[in-house]
Amino acid sequence: MTQPFLSIRKLRKAFGAFTAVHDVTLDIPKGEFLTFLGPSGSGKSTTLYAIAGFQDPTSGDVLLQDKSLLSVPSHKRNIGMVFQRYTLFPHLSVAENVAFPLRVRRRPEAEVKRKVADMLALVRLENFAERLPAALSGGQQQRVALARALAYDPPILLMDEPLSALDKKLREEIQAEIRRIHRETGVTILYVTHDQEEALHLSDRIALFRDGRIEQIGTGEDLYLRPTTDFVAGFIGNSNFLAAEHLETVGGASTIRLADGALVSGINANGSFAPGQKTRLMIRPEAFRLERSPNNAELSVEIVDVAFYGERRRIVARTSAGQEIDIRPTSAALAAQDVASSHRPVFFDPGAAFLFPA
Amino acid sequence: MSVEAQQGIATPRIPAGLGGLLPALILIGLFFVVPVLALLLRSVTDPAPGLQNYAALLGDGTYARVFFNTFLVAAVVTIVTVLVAFPVAWMLAIMPPVLASILFGIIILSMWTNLLTRTYAWMVLLQRTGVINRALMGAGIIDQPLPLINNLTGVTIGMVYIMLPFMILPLVGTLRAIDPMTLRAAALCGASPLAAFRRILLPLSLPGIAAGGLMVFVMSLGYFVTPALLGGTSNMMLAEMIAQMIQSLLNWGLGSAAAFILLVVTMALYALQLRLVGARRTTGGA
Repeated sequence: MTQPFLSIRKLRKAFGAFTAVHDVTLDIPKGEFLTFLGPSGSGKSTTLYAIAGFQDPTSGDVLLQDKSLLSVPSHKRNIGMVFQRYTLFPHLSVAENVAFPLRVRRRPEAEVKRKVADMLALVRLENFAERLPAALSGGQQQRVALARALAYDPPILLMDEPLSALDKKLREEIQAEIRRIHRETGVTILYVTHDQEEALHLSDRIALFRDGRIEQIGTGEDLYLRPTTDFVAGFIGNSNFLAAEHLETVGGASTIRLADGALVSGINANGSFAPGQKTRLMIRPEAFRLERSPNNAELSVEIVDVAFYGERRRIVARTSAGQEIDIRPTSAALAAQDVASSHRPVFFDPGAAFLFPA
Repeated sequence: MSVEAQQGIATPRIPAGLGGLLPALILIGLFFVVPVLALLLRSVTDPAPGLQNYAALLGDGTYARVFFNTFLVAAVVTIVTVLVAFPVAWMLAIMPPVLASILFGIIILSMWTNLLTRTYAWMVLLQRTGVINRALMGAGIIDQPLPLINNLTGVTIGMVYIMLPFMILPLVGTLRAIDPMTLRAAALCGASPLAAFRRILLPLSLPGIAAGGLMVFVMSLGYFVTPALLGGTSNMMLAEMIAQMIQSLLNWGLGSAAAFILLVVTMALYALQLRLVGARRTTGGA
């Protein structure tokens, strides 16, 4: 096996009695776009800061191409970073901001000029070179920050919630820019966000953090379609959790009894459950069907509300056990009046449902 | 909101004209403008009409020396004050707010302590047989007492101490407005701590340094008590000279002219600063 490009080894960071990061271990191949996703306080930013050199880990190591980074001060790590807040140098023009890393490295003037032009072209701000940062919008400022971070061809680019201060439309626009720039430069990116949509949209892989540990790491599809814990299932995408009693598991397929007494077989089991154990069944809102199909399980519900969301409708329904669930069929799948009737069955594929401990 | 209410905001209730400002204008005129004009008048009429007072001040080598010395002391004091104040201001800007406000309180308290008391305290510390010299000699670091008083060194030490709060306060304001993340960004860009200071922190703190520096420089130009007590006869400053002209020589005309020259220099410096700050604003807003 080839050496990983960037390797985080049993990284731990404690602040007094509070441990922000618990022995995180992670290998990142060259050119990967890896996102640290998680709620605030989950340790994702602390991990990033340890890589940047802003925080010394309590123990563990960070290796870049097999060499430890920890003893290297920030300014010699040769790492690019884009921050959550705008950190452009307010007294320098856009071009001088991008030139800054090259000037402190004392690169020849001709190279600085060429590189600045290349970088501004990369982020499509050629016409703003002489502006001061204050004369730019938030989105433009973050694009300049991106150009500045990439100007010295760093092997790794760290991004700490770079889009959180922008409005939704701008965020999507710059997400597309970031994807394009990742494609064009092939730089290895470590991206921190608490926004799961952003993570799914941008990343090759996602490391989902919870309480200082990586709960699950994998592609967006892995986390969405094959969550290993109920925390992952609940954090990524929308999910319904139905109370269920586990009856038996044979060859990875479980049989359970729902609160209304219905038996469902062929459920994906995560881990082992005892017969009679209280569990929770996770079903994605879009996994529910309004028409019967072979092998589908059935759930009788009362329709509470139907709302039109463009490509999908959102139905709020109540099970006979009194639990509210979220159903999102495509708008084409039904006409609004078809579901307005109060009681009806809905269907789901047991293979797309997951069982977790209660 | 009703149309009436909007109009109420748009049109001021103060009647047109300067009637409402009259009391303030009278106060400023009577206590600030008239005395300055009287000073100017005196300098060109006493003892006889003409510019002979100015000619005497600007033409005479002795007076020129005093002017030079005044600017030298003010410049040295300003530079040393900036050098001492910057690290203190930076510490105050980045330390936890509670601790910072306690230290602020201590600095302000020193400003409220009587100026004479503080200056006499420095005399005790700095004189030949003073605390500092005795401690240094006791420790075997020096054999002869250092000449710390009745010279430029003494004036500089005493005045820097008094001027520090005037430098620290505006500087802390400027430094607090700088996002510490900017410096982290500079570090990751490859800037060593020294490069980050020189290329980022220093340029960004220039407005504060300029504001505090001008205040310290202007105050130093006209300072009397500290130079008189801690300075020597060979490096007299302008304020001492004016005092001597008026108290000992009763030459009001010459004293007024010297005071007026000081005023003009001060105003010129102020105008220069306004211009520099103004230029920064225009480029900043472009």
